[in-house]
Amino acid sequence: MTDRPSILVPIRVLEGESIPEGVSELLANAHVVLLGYHVIPEQTAPGQARMQFEERATDRLEAYGSLFEQAGATVERRLVFTHDGQKTIDRTIAEHDCLAVLVPNATRPVEDVLVAVRGTVGVDRLARVVAGVFGETNASVTLYHVAEDEETDEDVGTLLDGLVDRLDDLGVDAPRIETRVERDTDTLDAITDASEVFDVVVMGETDPSLATFVFGMPADQVADRFLGPVLVVQRDAASTTPEE
Amino acid sequence: MADERVDVESTGQNVAGQAPVEEPEAVTDDVTVHDDEVELERTIGLVGGLAIGIGTMIGAGIFVFPGLAADNAGLAATLSFVIGGLIALLVALPTSELATAMPRSGGGYYFISRSMGTAYGAVVGLGLWLGLMFASAFYLVGLGHYASAVFVELGVELPFSPVTGIGLLFGVGLTALSIGGTENTAKIQNVVVGILLVVLTGFLSYGVLDAVGVFGGGSVPEEFFSRGYFPVLTTAALVFTSYLGFAQVATVAGEIKRPGRNLPLAMVGSVVIVTVFYVVTIFVATSAFGADRLGQFGETAMVEVARDFLGLPGAVAILGAGLLATFSSANASILSASRAVYALSRDALLPRKASEVNLRYGTPHVALLAAGGPILVLVGTGRVELLAEVASFLHLIMYGLMCVALIVLRRRNPEWYSPSYRVPGYPVVPAVGALASFGLIVFMQRASIAIGVVVMAASYLWYRYYAGSVTLKGDI
Repeated sequence: MTDRPSILVPIRVLEGESIPEGVSELLANAHVVLLGYHVIPEQTAPGQARMQFEERATDRLEAYGSLFEQAGATVERRLVFTHDGQKTIDRTIAEHDCLAVLVPNATRPVEDVLVAVRGTVGVDRLARVVAGVFGETNASVTLYHVAEDEETDEDVGTLLDGLVDRLDDLGVDAPRIETRVERDTDTLDAITDASEVFDVVVMGETDPSLATFVFGMPADQVADRFLGPVLVVQRDAASTTPEE
Repeated sequence: MADERVDVESTGQNVAGQAPVEEPEAVTDDVTVHDDEVELERTIGLVGGLAIGIGTMIGAGIFVFPGLAADNAGLAATLSFVIGGLIALLVALPTSELATAMPRSGGGYYFISRSMGTAYGAVVGLGLWLGLMFASAFYLVGLGHYASAVFVELGVELPFSPVTGIGLLFGVGLTALSIGGTENTAKIQNVVVGILLVVLTGFLSYGVLDAVGVFGGGSVPEEFFSRGYFPVLTTAALVFTSYLGFAQVATVAGEIKRPGRNLPLAMVGSVVIVTVFYVVTIFVATSAFGADRLGQFGETAMVEVARDFLGLPGAVAILGAGLLATFSSANASILSASRAVYALSRDALLPRKASEVNLRYGTPHVALLAAGGPILVLVGTGRVELLAEVASFLHLIMYGLMCVALIVLRRRNPEWYSPSYRVPGYPVVPAVGALASFGLIVFMQRASIAIGVVVMAASYLWYRYYAGSVTLKGDI
């Protein structure tokens, strides 16, 4: 058994965003921090929006939360009225110590997981998310790495083997894990191309904030082109030193 | 400043059967928490707070008043601005303490209703709403003067004075913009304030150097109290409208990040910054022309001062800055007025409908119309000095009562009252602040005082009629 990893699921709850098909099953083994947020213009006081929309928003959030609970997840709900969705998401990640954020897109039952491994930094959190979410499923996990020019095959081998061992310790049996390494290609293109045959992508954030991911950093091209759910593993906010 | 809350059991209901919205569970650096699961995000930082304060204030003191003030008080108008700044500071300090103890939307209205009861709260809250309308109208008329000056500069001769018409036009435009616009207005406000400060700093530095004779001009020595001593105080009462902005920071106290730190810094900081700018401006302006000639130029005197120093480019720069400044001040006041309506409606002192949010734009269209509509009527009068004084009157009542509220709270010292910033020099500072605020009113024109008193009486009667059974006072 592994600890349930905390996964943030941000939903613009009053703008018709809902939980797409398959997402609740995807996070059945996680601790879901369900963030319903509503972005209001600066002319409006957040409390003003709350007076009018709280009931409707709470009802929806309640219903979405039940979806996750029925699938087996533990759920924590938060409803936030804000002028700045990005700040709200970042703060919630920090306050609830979320390991990853889900970009919720519909998916079929998960059989193949693509894990984009960038380097040693944050690799432990990556492992905890993969093991926590997919450890008890039968999904096969593919560790995917685009090697830099200066990286030797030996370096790459050490990196991926270490991760395989770590995942094995955490309950993802080694036989379920494949590794794939590519060279001489643009990292983003490579990931999006490779992700086409997979159901879910797990990747590290390219920027200190998830929100930049959602709102338009290079990585969101992955989500856009991939069309399936993406788990964005967050950096450890507390420490900048590489974890063991 | 974690997890403190005002211990208030607001009770009762208004004529329409609406009860005040319950108080939040907790207030933290980042959010206001209701019912454990619902959070209101705080998103305005220190820069944003300063921009609200400075942006609201700077339009009046520099771009509208120098001519009028010099006309009234001569060179000693400089002293009038110093007096205004001192009073503002004496109020800003206690306000900071109250705001860190109760960082909620509504500012002065909230502090007073929770510490002194609903009746005082209603008079102040409705007075704040109306006072902000007078202030916005005043800024819009000022804007009208600047826009007219642009026509004059372009050599366009109009058969009528366009001041009021332009003011009305911008009043309608601003209201429509705040209802329908979802752009990031705060960022724009920050940029506008930044540009203004840069333009003014450049202009004033040149002016000061010129005034002390660096560029060979030098100023004509003139008698300081050329109009006597009394006009110094009446002028201070008139120009006090230039110092109304810091309390607007408290109106959005519920949205300020790290309120314990940022609220005092933003309020006191903006008062100090604008006071320096005002005093230097009036010094430069009077030394350029002497008080008599300056007075003849009226609302747009600064344009002539700039022309004197830097020729046509200077005049154009100050014209542009004046338009920007009066526009940003009017805009900030309309938004604050809408916040005041929300705070009153939340507490059932106005119909709940008044703070309704528009489904299409997400903006409080009723509150904005309730602010923008009456402003047009006020702009229609076109009377700069009267509008300014009534605005000041209604704010000064609130300022005085805030100081009193602070003394009340400190004496009773209820358990929930734990401000993270405490005013230095208690009880002298709040006591002097209260006396000075109420005292300044005495020096206003009779008409302004009369209108102010009528507004207060009407507010009280409205409270008795509409929400007589509503109790908002905290446990003190």
